[in-house]
Amino acid sequence: MAKAVIMPKAGITVESCIIGTWEKKVGDQIKIGDILFTYETDKASFECESTEEGTLLEIFYKDGDEVPCLVNVCAVGNPGDDCSALRPETAAKEEKAEEKSAEAPKVETAAAAPETTKSESGKTAVSPRARKLAERAGVDAADAVPTGPNGRIIERDVRELMNNPHVSAKAEASSVKESAKAEIAAEAEYEDVKFSNIRRAISKSMHASLATMAQLTHNSTFDASEILAYRKKLKASEGALSGITLGDIVLYAVSRTLHNYPDLNANMIGEDSIRLFKHVNLGVAVDTPRGLMVPTIFHADEMSLLEISLAVKELAKECREGNINPDKLSGASFTVSNLGSLGIETFTPVINPPQTGILGVCRAVDRVKKLDDGSIGIYPAMGLSLTYDHRAIDGSPASRFLKELGENLERFTTLLAE
Amino acid sequence: MPKSLFVDPAETRAPGKITFEDIPVNVYNKTVKEERKRFSDDDLVRIYRDIAILREFESMLNLIKTQGVYNGIETTYPGPAHLSIGQEAAAVGQAYLLDKNDFSFGSHRSHSEILSKALSCIQKLSEKELMDIMEGFLGGSALRATEKLGKVDDVKELAIRFILYGTLSEIFARSTGFHKGMGGSMHAFFLPFGIYPNNAIVGGSGAISTGAALFKKINGKQGIVVCNSGDGSMARGPVWEAMNFAAMDQFETLWESHKGGMPILYNVFNNSYGMGDQTRGETMGYDMLARIGSGISPTQFYAERIDGFNPLAVIDAMERKLEILRAGKGPVLLDTITYRYSGHSTSDQNAYRTKEEIDAWREVDPIITYRKSLVDAGVAADGKFEDILAEVKERMTMICKAASDPQISPYVDFKADPYVVERTMFSNEKVEKFDDREPEVSMPKEEVPAYKKIKEKSRCPIVDGQPVSKMKLFNLRDALSEVIYDRLYEDPTLIAYGEDCRDWGGAFAVYRGMMDAVPHCRLFNAPIAEAAIVGTAVGYALSGGRALVELMYADFIGCAGDEIFNQMSKWQAMSAGILKMPVVLRVSVGSKYGAQHSQDWTALCAHIPGLKVCFPATPWEAKGLMESALKGTDPVVFFESQRIYDVGEQFHEGGVPAERYEIEIGDVNKVRDGKDVTILTVGAALYRAMDAVKELSEKYGMEADVLNIHSLVPLDYTKIVESVRKTGRVVLVSDACARGSFMSEVAKNITELCFDDLDAPPVVVGARNWITPPFEFDKYFFPQASWILDAIHEKIVPLKGYTVENGCTETEQLRRLQKGV
Repeated sequence: MAKAVIMPKAGITVESCIIGTWEKKVGDQIKIGDILFTYETDKASFECESTEEGTLLEIFYKDGDEVPCLVNVCAVGNPGDDCSALRPETAAKEEKAEEKSAEAPKVETAAAAPETTKSESGKTAVSPRARKLAERAGVDAADAVPTGPNGRIIERDVRELMNNPHVSAKAEASSVKESAKAEIAAEAEYEDVKFSNIRRAISKSMHASLATMAQLTHNSTFDASEILAYRKKLKASEGALSGITLGDIVLYAVSRTLHNYPDLNANMIGEDSIRLFKHVNLGVAVDTPRGLMVPTIFHADEMSLLEISLAVKELAKECREGNINPDKLSGASFTVSNLGSLGIETFTPVINPPQTGILGVCRAVDRVKKLDDGSIGIYPAMGLSLTYDHRAIDGSPASRFLKELGENLERFTTLLAE
Repeated sequence: MPKSLFVDPAETRAPGKITFEDIPVNVYNKTVKEERKRFSDDDLVRIYRDIAILREFESMLNLIKTQGVYNGIETTYPGPAHLSIGQEAAAVGQAYLLDKNDFSFGSHRSHSEILSKALSCIQKLSEKELMDIMEGFLGGSALRATEKLGKVDDVKELAIRFILYGTLSEIFARSTGFHKGMGGSMHAFFLPFGIYPNNAIVGGSGAISTGAALFKKINGKQGIVVCNSGDGSMARGPVWEAMNFAAMDQFETLWESHKGGMPILYNVFNNSYGMGDQTRGETMGYDMLARIGSGISPTQFYAERIDGFNPLAVIDAMERKLEILRAGKGPVLLDTITYRYSGHSTSDQNAYRTKEEIDAWREVDPIITYRKSLVDAGVAADGKFEDILAEVKERMTMICKAASDPQISPYVDFKADPYVVERTMFSNEKVEKFDDREPEVSMPKEEVPAYKKIKEKSRCPIVDGQPVSKMKLFNLRDALSEVIYDRLYEDPTLIAYGEDCRDWGGAFAVYRGMMDAVPHCRLFNAPIAEAAIVGTAVGYALSGGRALVELMYADFIGCAGDEIFNQMSKWQAMSAGILKMPVVLRVSVGSKYGAQHSQDWTALCAHIPGLKVCFPATPWEAKGLMESALKGTDPVVFFESQRIYDVGEQFHEGGVPAERYEIEIGDVNKVRDGKDVTILTVGAALYRAMDAVKELSEKYGMEADVLNIHSLVPLDYTKIVESVRKTGRVVLVSDACARGSFMSEVAKNITELCFDDLDAPPVVVGARNWITPPFEFDKYFFPQASWILDAIHEKIVPLKGYTVENGCTETEQLRRLQKGV
């Protein structure tokens, strides 16, 4: 008998996902755990492993389709098995048929609850609680089998739907989208590419950032001699320590400096209040093939330099591989974006709302300065660009933060000891 | 039913006849010349001045209401003006001998009574006393407003302005009024001069003033009480109830202390009309009002008819009556003949009387005849009275101008202070005792046999794994008794009364044995007169004491409707918080006694603003709530169910604590934890709900969260909302008829507060909207455990394998609604 594989739910707030590419095609032999297709949410991309074994009999949604979570995506079974009942379209039709036949008089007592109940009016009622749960879970309450009085869909029916998803009424709408897409493709000459979920999220967030905040950027430099020398020492050492980067060193210094500037280690709440964090949760901008992602190092202020370094590497890996838990993509209290390795000397980072600040880390350039003995010396000057939300913090404290951060980096080995 | 009074068949059945003393009618016949021995010329002229002030005050109101202008001042107000133009001489005569220790209560037509009593007090008090009173009232704010009228050196003149301005701005609903404008024309009063509330309900002051007299009598306070009303009120039952209450034999025959009659004068300003009906000759049968005292007591209430058109005749009668009252021989009744020229209200077309009649009375108007008699007797020259009238008018113009001026006399600003009325609905104070003297008791509390018995009982239903026998178990009745004992021994002003409270111990034995503890004056049997029981408690409380009264059955609330719904509930706010109302009214919800003795009327009381409403269902709740109620300063209607007086404490861990504790009125008692459905209960329904809870758990695997609502008003919904948000399902159970029940109100609020969390509509399981059938058919009328399961199955979540017993489909529900059953 054919069984369905459903679109997984990739986080509590995720309602639907877009299918990336199918790794298997109809007729392929599938084992449990085989990767069937990739899919992405607005924040990350994932691989869907098969929960069933057998032949891939039918694929209900194609590459690029948006599929509600917990809805059947494909059918797996023995060749020749009937999988029509698993098709989302079929389910929608059955639902309608059931509603029509529901005009029969109501049975006085529902003897074997929770058997399906039917409404007298023919309309499907959903309790407010069931509706709210369905919204949160990203399922369509109308897909649930009603077992409440008078054909009402109640909470337990939605929970049943979440645990044993069957079919969706939304598939019809998807096929309409499909034909519209085909028409556009016939045009050629240029290509209209729909944003991926991640791109859409970045677009929305960055635009909101610039449209709603009072952002401005301060630039400064510091003498990077000490951290460059320290980094050289680390590189020469054995094991994990050798992997510590300049970026990690800056992250460490930021995590130890932010405590003195609570308004920068914060989130805006609405227009008139601010949430001050007790710990430093550092967002780290990571470049991935799908676009910019910003995973969070929680409680960075409690981690050693090595721990920070390892955490950044692990998070970046998960981002690039697209299997990061969406919960790790939010919750930051401040962000660091490092473009130094790409040769950028100064730039204007854009704040990730609702945070109040972001630090850009730039490349080091050689500069001259007067040394203590009066002679002229050359030193590596590394750039720092701080963008802050003037609604939350004023220019002077923001400048003092930059100054203190630079000083901490110039005496980094001492800072490590503190 | 005291055993000390032998009902002797021989005496009771012996022949004889009832004789009456003659009732004097207008016997006063002295001339001014003769009276000059008793009164100084100044006194005689001042009596005229006071009459003139009263006349001018109401004439001003009449002009304002009918023409919108008084002496060039354009102003008006939308409130009532029940004027007594013509009745001033009677009011001045009555007040002449009264001082601030004498309390007066009035009716809807009491402007003149208020002002005349105030003028009399101003005359009697020293300048210092007057200044202290004016400075002390509302923190001096009323005096500050009066001072804006212009500088005046004479303190008495200042006090006259103060009283006129305070009264008028109260009538005009200004914040500078004596009660911040919240009482208005029909509810103006001024306590520092002993001027107590007048009342918009005809005869409403009857029982209240009787309660004030009871307060003076029991607590040994100076002064007497005057209950003023009109002849229309003599038809009202509560007035008769009150007069009988005041005349009870037990004050002489049974009371060990504070013996003697009640210090109260029932004075009727008899203007021959009750609004438009003519009392004598049309709606009453007494021929002369003074007769009715003879129908109540052998003293005949020392009643007489006096001529209220002659102030000296009224003073003469008052002097004689005060002597009787001060000798402890009250109550007294005066039929004070007078006449009102003005209509009942300014919209009165005088359809019920002729112009000739009004003119005939105008010819003997005291403002003319009394003045003439003073001139004729040589007390003063006629010009003197012209001067007085001019002075009166000038002062009144100044007062009217100030009271109409929004700068000097602003309205309360509801926008700036939205809580202005809300703040005074309840006083929410805790008062251990209202007097410092030792409570009057018959023996130490610890020696009272019934109290000792309570103390020996087991406070837990299970001891060492064994159930405690019913006789040894501390039950809900004991919980109430225990608190009442404790409070009687703490607050010397606390008195308890009601039907059969003393020897019987209350119909349900809450007071059993308490007669050993306190003398009659603190625990006595009231007549079967619910209006008087509650009304006197109101008067007792607003005079400064604490009253615990009982109505035996909640069904009798209707008999005390006005007293509960209009008096007990409203005086705190109508006085802008000046009066307190520490009255606890115990009412018992019956069972087994059919349609008029089995009703839960909590919804009626909860509907009325100003009442706190409790209904404990467990001994732990009963003790804590009664302790709160008997320490508070607010009126509490305390429901008790006869079904559960015998229950022990089944829910509170450790049973009922022996020590004292309070449960905040407004809290909710969580009696069981569960996650699947919330069950809310009121009253004895808790125990049937618990049966349903057991079945739900054992047969259907559903765990109910059960909360008992022991306080209906106020009610903190926090725990209820928390529970419903958790379960998403709620059944509300009480023994009240479902339509308009308190549970319907709770269901409405839950729907609003928890809508998005509800998995099904809140379902109210109440009694059917019928008469209560005989006890044998209880299960068809009152909510049963199976009804709760039916409701869950049919309206909330179908129960697997459940068969509906007594269900109600939508069609059936609609049919019942359509039929009104």
